[in-house]
Amino acid sequence: MNFLIKLQSLDRRWIYLLVALAIIIPLLIPFDSKTYTTEPVENIYQKVDSFSGKSNKAILMVFMHDASTMPELFPMEVSVLRHAFERNVKVFTICFTPTAAPLVDYAINTVREQFPDKKSGIDYCNFGYKPAALMVPMVLGMGEDISKAVDIDSEGRKIANLPIMQDIKNYNEMNLIINFSGSDYGYTWITYARSKFGANVAAGVTAVMAADAYPFLQTGQLLGMMAGLKGASEYEKLDDVFASYKDANYPSGRPFSKEIINETIANDTFKISDQKVYAFKKARIGMNSQSAAHILIIIFIIIGNLGYFIEKSKQKQDQ
Amino acid sequence: MKRQIPLLIVIILGFIFVVHTFVPHKISQDFFDWYQDWIKAMSPFAVFLGIMSLLMVHGTKIIRKATNWQYSVVTLSALVFTAFAGFMWGTQEGTPYMWLFAHVQMPMSSTMFSLLAFYIASAAYKAFRARSAEATVLLLAAIVVMLGQVPLGAAITHWIPDSAQWILNVPNLAAKRGIALGVGLGMVATSLKILLGIERTYLGSD
Repeated sequence: MNFLIKLQSLDRRWIYLLVALAIIIPLLIPFDSKTYTTEPVENIYQKVDSFSGKSNKAILMVFMHDASTMPELFPMEVSVLRHAFERNVKVFTICFTPTAAPLVDYAINTVREQFPDKKSGIDYCNFGYKPAALMVPMVLGMGEDISKAVDIDSEGRKIANLPIMQDIKNYNEMNLIINFSGSDYGYTWITYARSKFGANVAAGVTAVMAADAYPFLQTGQLLGMMAGLKGASEYEKLDDVFASYKDANYPSGRPFSKEIINETIANDTFKISDQKVYAFKKARIGMNSQSAAHILIIIFIIIGNLGYFIEKSKQKQDQ
Repeated sequence: MKRQIPLLIVIILGFIFVVHTFVPHKISQDFFDWYQDWIKAMSPFAVFLGIMSLLMVHGTKIIRKATNWQYSVVTLSALVFTAFAGFMWGTQEGTPYMWLFAHVQMPMSSTMFSLLAFYIASAAYKAFRARSAEATVLLLAAIVVMLGQVPLGAAITHWIPDSAQWILNVPNLAAKRGIALGVGLGMVATSLKILLGIERTYLGSD
């Protein structure tokens, strides 16, 4: 009992040490853990999947964050890019903060290492960094004509002349916008692209921001959401189970099915260790660390409260 | 005049954009195209303003040897060196700019953000107490949501992620929607006040 009371005044450096160990050890020694997928992530996956091989459909990935939120958001971006490249879906990328510009290149280059045949201007196009002041005019302008609103890409090429723009004019074709951000859930895209032009909007957010997005998920204004590392790990898993799955019956991956998902969880197939490319399992390895950290914090809360109640009852007895 | 001209610009352009939103006429569309070209030309000047401001603030600090002026030297050196690297060798993969991003900015920013985990753990241990009924509800909700977010929660029982999802979908959603409606109504009221020239604080004090 006294031990729990004494623990109340535990030096916070011990807490920091335990948290550091809980995070570092699972990263250094990755282990297989189950990944359960949820509907908001599956909805994004299915929408991207529905654009497979269609020249008149594309997705727009909006990078609205800097390197600080990379551990949570970067694996999402890699997973979505991987999915699009696996399924031959046209991808556009854009950012409105200068600190996000290198992130776009970094994400594309990371995925392109596994897909060297994917060409800029043909399979994907980086619109590059555009000043934040241009965001609303561009969001509105893309609803009419993308090549007019954006004008040139990150390599200084006229967008209208790029082969990727064939059959792509506005949100009717570039019909899914995924906004990756640590501080908002695509509010501008919901307000202008969704309300005015009917574009599908999805969000990739840090875990702390996820709670804010639920009203928009419920109304359908957000098609889906990847929340924190968990959302990223779910998308990674979906990529492994469907997009990159190849056999004689499914030479270019198999279509999404909830039954297959349940089956893979029940039979514990598609483990983390089965994936050989580190970039494609980073979120799931990170989830092991997050599990350990969450459990440690819960233990801290329980111990802290036990000590608090014992101390309180002791004080009452003394009185 | 110093206040009236900016006020007139805001009021006139504000109403024009309201009309543009609701009237899909060719004149309205042409105006928007013209506006797009102008804003593209104007926005780079904001970068100059930002750089000027940064140079003035930190330059003054260095000249006057103010407290921690050494940090200002680091800030300005980083600005000059990063910009130089970008202009000189480009920003593509394999350039010094990208090296700076991958080996300086990325680890430093991630480190700063990851400190949150340590503070949260410490705060949870030291301050997260069931002192009242409301605090107890908050504490239990936090434990369920934290467990529901990790694979272990679902491995224990499917009730944990289901309950976590219910907390996010029902009480959380209700509270967030209430806040969003309040903010939305406030934004409409403030916008109307700006359009009608009632709200003028954005013009400054003099």
